[in-house]
Amino acid sequence: MRNIASRPDGPRGRPRRKAEPGQIVITGLGVSTAFGRGEDRLLDGLASGQPAFRPASRFDTGGCRATMAAELAGEPKLGAEIAAVTDQACQRAGLDAVSRAEADFLLALHTDSDRARDPEASDVIGAVPAEVAAATGLPYPARIYTTACVAGSTAVADAATMIGAGRASQVIVAAGFLVDADSFRLFDAGRTLAVDGQVRPFSSGRKGMLLGDGIAAVVVESAQAASRRGAEVLALMTGWGRAGDAFHVVQPHPDGTGLARAITAALGRGKVAPAEVGYINANGSGTAFADASESAAIHRAFEAAVGSVPVSSTKSLHGHALEASSLIELVVTVLALQAGLLPVNAGFLADDPACQLSLVLGTSRQARPRYALCLNAAFGGASTALLLAAA
Amino acid sequence: MTTVVLARAQWPADDADTELAGVAGFIESAFSPLVAAVAERCLSSFFGAPPAVLARGERTAIAIATSTGDLATAAAVATAVQAGRRVPPLLFYQSNLNAAAGYVAARWGLAGPVVCTMPGSACQPSATSEGQAEDLTSRALAEAHATAALLIEDGDADAALVIAANAYLGGAAFGTAELVGPSWWSST
Repeated sequence: MRNIASRPDGPRGRPRRKAEPGQIVITGLGVSTAFGRGEDRLLDGLASGQPAFRPASRFDTGGCRATMAAELAGEPKLGAEIAAVTDQACQRAGLDAVSRAEADFLLALHTDSDRARDPEASDVIGAVPAEVAAATGLPYPARIYTTACVAGSTAVADAATMIGAGRASQVIVAAGFLVDADSFRLFDAGRTLAVDGQVRPFSSGRKGMLLGDGIAAVVVESAQAASRRGAEVLALMTGWGRAGDAFHVVQPHPDGTGLARAITAALGRGKVAPAEVGYINANGSGTAFADASESAAIHRAFEAAVGSVPVSSTKSLHGHALEASSLIELVVTVLALQAGLLPVNAGFLADDPACQLSLVLGTSRQARPRYALCLNAAFGGASTALLLAAA
Repeated sequence: MTTVVLARAQWPADDADTELAGVAGFIESAFSPLVAAVAERCLSSFFGAPPAVLARGERTAIAIATSTGDLATAAAVATAVQAGRRVPPLLFYQSNLNAAAGYVAARWGLAGPVVCTMPGSACQPSATSEGQAEDLTSRALAEAHATAALLIEDGDADAALVIAANAYLGGAAFGTAELVGPSWWSST
């Protein structure tokens, strides 16, 4: 096997990196977005650079400011969709019935709109966790993450912590959100949805976010457990960090302090220098205030290296999947590393002096980053950074 | 790192706790006022007036666990949507539990991670009696402690404000807050 350091930078012929004992790896993934079901459909969508936004079709948008969303075709049901991607992820990782029953399962969910209409309801989640567990052979989730746009990424960081501490060898993390009338009208009332029908992260003239369906699952495990089964390593979980802003009920700190600390923690844990990071999948919701804050955070954490790291927010393509968004974007980042493709930051109109980043503009482009960061930020100042290394 | 419970508070604490104080910007639901009330009692008993001492606040996480979630806010959104009325914009801001966490974090200067969860197996039984409601609150507290322990073990925080909050349709609300952190915090 060739030395990693001497590997060619081109898109072909790169030797596969072997995971070392003590490392944490991703061995399975499953995903569905408005681009379709399966990672190939998502990868096609990322490569095409054409946003998946269409007029929202599942409910009436009459009286709303915005009209567009990114929806899966047909009439998807959340429990069945999460079960399908979770099963895909487990199959990809080669987890048999015994391994599934013994694995830990973490799930990130949005409020269930049927429960919201049930006067007898005793919780906002409903039957989805039990449905997914029954359909996949996994145990009932150990925990349900509801912590807004960092729910999925926080679960992944916790999974890595559990594995690193030796308290779990395999953790399956799943998340799902389907655009519904409640979420659409709620975000529309909050004046956060883009009235021009496009998400334009970090661009001047950006009008806001758009919702998108997102269902994803990953298998996170120790390198030892993966190698015992002979499972293919899709990416290495090299670092992770979580932090808060202590600033506002819903807005991020304008200086990006919390997200910057999360990035620094992730890089520190992975012993990776900012200049070694070859791609950032940004939170980039497309809202005026949040994108400027995130740009400040990246500058704060990357300092002089900020100019050389390509950045894009793929919410401009697949939309914002709320509690599932950070897991969708982790999957996007894994696919980007695997395929050697940096997805485009779509919808860009013109530079914003408040967002001076090295954005991937025009089209998605080929590159072979060794390390990639996936950033997410949420209401309450909650921020996460997940650092991946190419397998 | 070994942590201890440095301060503890609950709602209701005694018969005088009948009406939760409102929180500016939050409407319709007892959930966020409940979180704010137990957080305030717990943190003020340890830190005095807000904010927390800078070096400690910066390293303190917030972990909120709930067996119910914010049922009243979800129901208020659903009611407006079903009736074809405009959703009150304030409901957008309080639609995720992170907003209540953000309120506490900003007020007290707690800049550690913010995590909101629901207990896994513990959120399955329905609460129909006071006894079960207390049981669910204690399960949520155990869940919030488990989440906080991961953050502290991992080094993303030294301490955590751990909150269990359950608020039911009809107004019943039960909450507990505990500050967990290094034992030496209590002696200095």
